[in-house]
Amino acid sequence: MELLIIFISAALVNNFVLSYFLGICPFIGVSNKTSSAISMGMATTFVMALTAVVSWLLFNLILVPFKLEFLQIPSFILVIAALVQFVEMVIKKVSQPLYRALGIFLPLITTNCAILGLALLASMRGYDFLESVVFGVGAGAGFTLALVIMAGIREELDLADVPKPFQGAPITLIVAGILALAFMGFAGMI
Amino acid sequence: MKKQVPLLREFTKGLWEINPTFKQILGMCPTLAVTVSAINGIAMALATTFVLVFSSLMISLVRKLIPNQVRIASYIVIIATFVTIVDLVMKAQFVELSKALGPFIPLIVVNCIILGRAEAFASKNGPLRSVLDALGNGAGFFISLFVLGSIREIIGSRTILGYQVLPNGFEPWLIMILPAGAFLALGLLMGFANLYIERKKNLVRESLIAQYKRVGREEITDEVLKEAGV
Amino acid sequence: MKQISLIVATLTIIGIIAGGSLSLVNNWAAPKIALNLKAETERAIFLVHPDGKRYEEIKNAGLEVYKVFNEKDSSVGYSLVYDGNGFQGNIKLMIGLTNDLNRTTSIEILEQSETPGLGTKILEAPYKDQFNGLEVNPSIILVKGAEPSNPNEVQSITGATISSKAVVAIVNEGITKLKDIENKGASE
Repeated sequence: MELLIIFISAALVNNFVLSYFLGICPFIGVSNKTSSAISMGMATTFVMALTAVVSWLLFNLILVPFKLEFLQIPSFILVIAALVQFVEMVIKKVSQPLYRALGIFLPLITTNCAILGLALLASMRGYDFLESVVFGVGAGAGFTLALVIMAGIREELDLADVPKPFQGAPITLIVAGILALAFMGFAGMI
Repeated sequence: MKKQVPLLREFTKGLWEINPTFKQILGMCPTLAVTVSAINGIAMALATTFVLVFSSLMISLVRKLIPNQVRIASYIVIIATFVTIVDLVMKAQFVELSKALGPFIPLIVVNCIILGRAEAFASKNGPLRSVLDALGNGAGFFISLFVLGSIREIIGSRTILGYQVLPNGFEPWLIMILPAGAFLALGLLMGFANLYIERKKNLVRESLIAQYKRVGREEITDEVLKEAGV
Repeated sequence: MKQISLIVATLTIIGIIAGGSLSLVNNWAAPKIALNLKAETERAIFLVHPDGKRYEEIKNAGLEVYKVFNEKDSSVGYSLVYDGNGFQGNIKLMIGLTNDLNRTTSIEILEQSETPGLGTKILEAPYKDQFNGLEVNPSIILVKGAEPSNPNEVQSITGATISSKAVVAIVNEGITKLKDIENKGASE
C-alpha cells in the first residue's frame, strides 16, 4: 500500500517535471517528436531505477557508516556519470538496435537534474531500499508520461499558427503550464 | 589569432546577449522552481553565482594541467565541491532560506549554466576573463530570477520582498505561486521579450536602410546589417 | 600507459583536494547544523506547551515524543511528532497533549506541501486554533459546513476538505499510537 502511494505520488501527483521542475531541459529539448520522446523516457526510467539502487547502497552502506554524508553530492554525481557510461557500453555490446534507439540520449542524461534530484530526494526522505526503487521507477514513469504527452501536443502545434516571438521555448513553456494545471487534478489521490 | 574582446564585454554580454535563461535557455529547473517569491529568486541566483564564479576561476587555473579525457569528470568534481560548501554554509547560517530552496541547492551541480560556462569559456580562457564571464552570466541569471520572482510574488501574493504592494481588494492569483503559474509566467515573459527585441531590430534595420538610401547607396548587404548588430 | 597514469593521478589529486576541503568546511558546519535542528524541535515543543520549561525525550517508544515539564518541574503533558499523507504530500505535526491524553493543548505544523492559498489554510489560526484544548475522546471528528457543537469536533476548511481531514486523521492516529505505548508501559 505504502509502495503504491509512493509510485502514484512520484508518477502523477508530484510529477517530477510538472510539479518538481526536475528534468526541464530534456523536457523542452527532446519533446519534438513522439518517437524520440518515448526513447528518451525509457532511457531515463532505466537509469533512474539503477540510480535509485546504486545511490541507496552508496549512501546507506558507505557514506552513513563512515560519517561521510557531506560527500553526498560529489559522490552521487560521479556515480551517476559512471553509471550512464556503463549503461551505454553494455547496451552497445548487447543490442545494436537498442543502442541506436537510446544511444544518443544517454550522454544527455548525466546532466538531467531529475536523476540527481531522485537520488537526493530518496535519501532526504529516508526511503528504505524497496521504496527507493519504486520511487525511481515511478519518477521515471511520470517523466516519460509528461514527455510523451508534451511531444504529442507539440506535433500538433507545428501545424498551428503561433505568433513568431512565441515560437519555440515560450509556447512550449505555456503548454507545459496548462499541462501542469491538468496534472493538479491528480492531487488528493494519495 | 582571434580578436581580443574588451574585458568589460566579457561581463556585459552575460546580462542580456547570452542571458542564461532567456537566450541560452539553460538552468530552467531552478528558474521555475524557486521563483515563488523574489527573495527566493535572489538567494538562488546568489548561490549559483558563487558556485559559477569559483568553479570558473578554479577550472581556468587548472585547465592546462587536466588531461582532455577526464576534463568533464574533473569539472564536475570541482563544481560539486563548491556546491557542497554552499549547501553546508546555508544549512548552518541561513536555515529558513535553505529550507525554502530545499533540494535545489544541491541541484546547482547539474545546472547546465555552470558546466556550460566551464566547457565553453573557462576551459579556454584565462582566470580574469573567466571570472568576469562567470560574474556576467551570474548577473544575467540574477536578473531573470529576480524579474520572474517579483512578477509571481506581486500577482500571486500581493507582496514584493515581503512588503504589500497591491491593495487588499486585489484577489491574489493563486495560480502564480502554483507550478503551473511558473511555466505560464516564464513562457509569456520570454515571448514578450522576443516581441520587444524583434520590434527594436526592425526599427534599427529600417533607419539603417533609410540612411543608406540618403547617401545614395542602394545595396544593403547582410554583412552590413550584422556589423550594426541587427 | 603514461597517459593512463596521468589521468589517474589527476583524478586522485582532485579527489583528495575536494574531499579535504569539504571535510574542513563540514567540521565547521556540522555542529551548527545539528544545533539549528535541535533549536527548531525545541521551539516547536514549547510552542504547543507555552508553560513548558524543560523536556525529556521518551526513548524506545518507536515514536518521536517528548515529556514536557513546567517551572516547578511537574509534568504538563506530551509533545508528539507525527506525520501522514496530506493532499499533495507529507504533513508533519507537533501535537501538544495533556498528561491524561484526553485533550490536545495545541498543534503546530512542522512540514507540509499543500496547495498554496487553499490547503495552506491549515497553517492559519481559524483552523489551527480549533485544536487548542480540544477533546480527543473517543476521537476527533471533522464537521463540514455546520459550526462544531461537541467538544471533540473540528470544522473543515471550505475548499480544503482533504487537507483538513488529513490533519485530523494524523492527530487521531498519533494519539492512538501514543496511548498504546503508554498502556503497555503502565502494565509492565
